[in-house]
Amino acid sequence: MPRDRAVEAEGLERVFKGGIRAVDGVDLAVDAGEVFGFLGPNGAGKSTTVRMLATLLRPTGGRARVAGHDLVGDPSAVRRSIGVALQDAAIDPYMTGRELLHLQAVLHGFDRAHGRARAVELLERVDLVAAADRRVGTYSGGMRRRLDLALALVHEPEVLFLDEPTTGLDPISRLTLWDEVRRLNTELGTTVFLTTQYLEEADQLAGRVAIIDGGRIVAEGTPAALKAEVGDPTLRITLADPAAHEAGARALAAFGEALPPERSGALAVRLPGGAQSLPGVVRALDEAGVVAAELDLAMPSLDDVFVARTGRRLEAADGAGEPAAAPAPA
Amino acid sequence: MRPAVTQTAALARRSVVGTLRTPQALVPSLFFPLVLMAIFTGSFGNAPGTIPGFPEVRGFLDFALAGAVLQGILIGGTSAGAAFALDIEGGFFDRLVASPVARTAILVGRLAGGVVIAMAQTLFFVAVGVAFGARIEGGLAGLAVLLVLAAFLSVAVSGLGVVLALRTGSAEAVQGTFPLFFALLFFSSAFFPRETMTGWFKAVADVNPISYLVEAMRDQIVTGVEPRSTLIGLAVVIGMAAAALGGSFLAFRSRLRSAL
Repeated sequence: MPRDRAVEAEGLERVFKGGIRAVDGVDLAVDAGEVFGFLGPNGAGKSTTVRMLATLLRPTGGRARVAGHDLVGDPSAVRRSIGVALQDAAIDPYMTGRELLHLQAVLHGFDRAHGRARAVELLERVDLVAAADRRVGTYSGGMRRRLDLALALVHEPEVLFLDEPTTGLDPISRLTLWDEVRRLNTELGTTVFLTTQYLEEADQLAGRVAIIDGGRIVAEGTPAALKAEVGDPTLRITLADPAAHEAGARALAAFGEALPPERSGALAVRLPGGAQSLPGVVRALDEAGVVAAELDLAMPSLDDVFVARTGRRLEAADGAGEPAAAPAPA
Repeated sequence: MRPAVTQTAALARRSVVGTLRTPQALVPSLFFPLVLMAIFTGSFGNAPGTIPGFPEVRGFLDFALAGAVLQGILIGGTSAGAAFALDIEGGFFDRLVASPVARTAILVGRLAGGVVIAMAQTLFFVAVGVAFGARIEGGLAGLAVLLVLAAFLSVAVSGLGVVLALRTGSAEAVQGTFPLFFALLFFSSAFFPRETMTGWFKAVADVNPISYLVEAMRDQIVTGVEPRSTLIGLAVVIGMAAAALGGSFLAFRSRLRSAL
């Protein structure tokens, strides 16, 4: 039996009124159990794609299957199999976290007792036990996102769609949420389809990423493979004694092409072997009697991939960069 | 069938809880009608008996009570429609649509929550009225009719709000209908009897459906259950509710058509 696909799309397309092709023929194949990162600047078509896969928006072309169910043919089966946490999730500010989880459980057909038990389980999972009976209006941005995540998990979905789960969060809250996503992927085996405009997020969480720009997928693969495609890591060495420059350059010649150093007393070399070549480099320098004050191995980033494919920097592509702060509680 | 009922009840409960916990929505619907009732009762306390043509009534408060009930439901129903729009604006609506919830529960839950609030409001106004000396001539039967009229009116008002919410997705657009309802209220016999009106104003009040509704409500309080006015009032309000309900189902369907 072939490996189960959690999400499969062929030529998925959404044309809005006025002829705007928000999603323009997207092919996707996400395996069950994967964390899949869907990366792109604002307005690239990420959210439109997710809204279609979550049955919230009718595709104008192409076909897709989610958790094995045809999107257009059997949307109810898709809805039973997915959990959805959409961008800037609205959560009733006047309800408590526990009440919302309980409501969500009832809406998924749980009986009251089962719903209560499930709410307690999930509150523990996302570390909101202490805030469970406070109104959501008093929650911080990070707490809301965690509650939103818990709400999407009530019915133990096979596939979880997270649309920009950490946009607007402070770094600590972002790390907490990342841990949560990793945990539910490894512990429960939930497939996670995650959209983000943050390279680091995709790099940290996703086993595979697709980069979308202007409604089309411009790159797809594991973060490592995509970066490898762009180029090799660069090793920069700051010498303790600038006079050892020539000896150092000779020692490094075997490992890769020399690059123009950024300043005197430094060396730079393209290192196709990456981190695995480092012990050899250190040994060779040592044998040549060259002392390195600093070693810095710079990996190509997904941003470099984006630049290579689109000619623009991802963070600059939407012109906004990172949002300054979490949205104020309503 | 059963899950749909449970889901509707859960969503209705949520809208009731939401209303009770947002004082800025609840207070005006209780407070303004009371203030107006107090002003009119103070200003026109001896209108019955001194103004020629004023119907026979124990006191002006008994007369004004129905107007307060009606006004309260207009305000409350508009808030229910606006709350539905806020669900759309904020994304709760999407969360519901992306879950396997029965589609009708999303709509009916909100309207049913509004009905519960409207009936509770009616009991509140009647209780305040009775505390200040009004008497419900229709007794329990009259009160029951009053509640039924209130329930249908709530469906009519919040249903219209829901239509606008679904068409525009904007709570402001829904709140914007309020002046319209207020005009309907003032150009009706909600605060004064049609017997004392003249000219064009009377002509407007004569064709204003709110007049027939408020007179049906008032009769339960002032004269007791009066079959003719009760039936006319019921027919008017059921017609309004049916139109609003039909409109909201159509708007709901067309909104869902853009989804799957």
